[in-house]
Amino acid sequence: MSSQPAAVIGIGQTKHKKRRDDVSLPGLVREAAQRALDDAELTWKDIDAVVLGKAPDPFEGVMMPELSMADALGANGKPMMRVHTAGSVGGSTALVATHLVQTGVHDRVLTVAYEKQAEGNAQWGLAGGRSGGMGAGGIFAPWMRSYIKQSGAPEDIGWKVAVKDRLNACKNPYAHLQLKDITIEAVKESPVIWDPIHFHESCPSSDGAVAMVLTNEKGAKKAPRKPAWVLATAMRSELGVFPGRNNVRPQAGVECAHMIYDQAGITNPREQIDMAELYVPFSWYEPMWLEGHDIAGPGEGWQMVADGSTEIDGSFPVNASGGVLSTNPIGASGMIRFAEAALQVRGEAGEHQVKDAHVALAQAYGGSAQYFAMWLVGDELDAVAKKK
Amino acid sequence: MFYCRVVGESQERLTTHTIDFPYTRTLGPVFSEFLTGMRDGKLVGIKGRDGKVICPPTEWDPETGDALGNDFVEVGPGGVVTTWAWVTEPTPKHPLDKPFAFALIQLDGADTGLMHAVDAGSIDKMSTGMRVTARWKDDRIGHITDVTFVPEAG
Repeated sequence: MSSQPAAVIGIGQTKHKKRRDDVSLPGLVREAAQRALDDAELTWKDIDAVVLGKAPDPFEGVMMPELSMADALGANGKPMMRVHTAGSVGGSTALVATHLVQTGVHDRVLTVAYEKQAEGNAQWGLAGGRSGGMGAGGIFAPWMRSYIKQSGAPEDIGWKVAVKDRLNACKNPYAHLQLKDITIEAVKESPVIWDPIHFHESCPSSDGAVAMVLTNEKGAKKAPRKPAWVLATAMRSELGVFPGRNNVRPQAGVECAHMIYDQAGITNPREQIDMAELYVPFSWYEPMWLEGHDIAGPGEGWQMVADGSTEIDGSFPVNASGGVLSTNPIGASGMIRFAEAALQVRGEAGEHQVKDAHVALAQAYGGSAQYFAMWLVGDELDAVAKKK
Repeated sequence: MFYCRVVGESQERLTTHTIDFPYTRTLGPVFSEFLTGMRDGKLVGIKGRDGKVICPPTEWDPETGDALGNDFVEVGPGGVVTTWAWVTEPTPKHPLDKPFAFALIQLDGADTGLMHAVDAGSIDKMSTGMRVTARWKDDRIGHITDVTFVPEAG
């Protein structure tokens, strides 16, 4: 599909928080975008196009913010577009920006995603008010139960994921939750909000934004810092409800992952990929996606959690950043996964840097686990081949 | 408001349920200055990179996209109507409860137009190029409706 390589040369994010009272909605977005430009040592003039993503507009009650944010994003007189794929939107937004570079339409594209959840009520925003507030947790809880039943996973797997991600977040200065004293006991004893999910096994509600600058090979050569090369991109979707649907392992997720592996020449994801940032808003989704994307075999996802493989120093670290469980400005959450994967292969993740991260997978999902977006990034264009 | 009616019984029962769903809005440093000015009975603009005064103020330069410093400028209270439309039948959400004009007003000292309501009494009193001035409410709260405009005397 791609006619030329694309690379990430600038990454910026805000400090994610419960409430950002000090900035306007465009000000929040601008902060991340400016940091991405600074990281790439570029100015607003250098950007050819802007691709913006966020979750449904009822979250903040600002309709079509892509129009009013044009000035905040220096997009006057430039192409600007908005992407909309529910919770996976951060990922698909980054992919649209990537494709604009790969196809040679633009040389340097700024991509931005955000949510300022403190301005509204995310539970209502998700449901459009119609579900009476069942929310995402209410939709996903029975599917997590199904996974537990099918796989025979012990109950403490969810608790372990929750503790791991929160302790990883303490190594990431941008992460929202900083729960350095979290323990398995604390997770287990926190109230059950959607069985099997306890309070501490759920994502928070955050204000935050993230941005990246993407460019072609020529632009990457001029970049001041090491680029992260995009090795593969994929998006897949399916209906959220249909007879016979496999809710635990949606087919769109399986196909999306295999599209990535095929593009990048990966035959054994667990060995050939060094780490992953997966969209895990509820603890059980870590083993579910490890299996749902064929990184682990059936029933083996939870074992990777149990034996510590997904810890930051494990054989296949997952969500070294602290993940969605620690930071969730919904529209931005997918792009944070993509940006964190890029940070890792650039070797710039600081205290949460995974050792020898040459090839990293990022994934975002949305809706009723019906939209999937993924990319694979590497420190070299031939990073996968070099691992063989 | 939802109504729930139970049928098939001797007595109809009715229950009401009101969903309250407020949004909040953070203003940031520039809009805060503008609306704080409203509360204090002042109209505030900001200086753009090219020296032009923008009112209502923007957070970023509309031409270059650069961040604007805190270069606030007091403008008005008088200004010139550059274009307008007469509202014959105001709705409850409109700033005035009688016929009025929505007008683009270039305030004295500003280079851009502020859209606001002009209480001219009748459409015959409205014209492009006419001068208007701010009429402040007594109980101001830092809201855009703290002010309306009236034709300048004389």
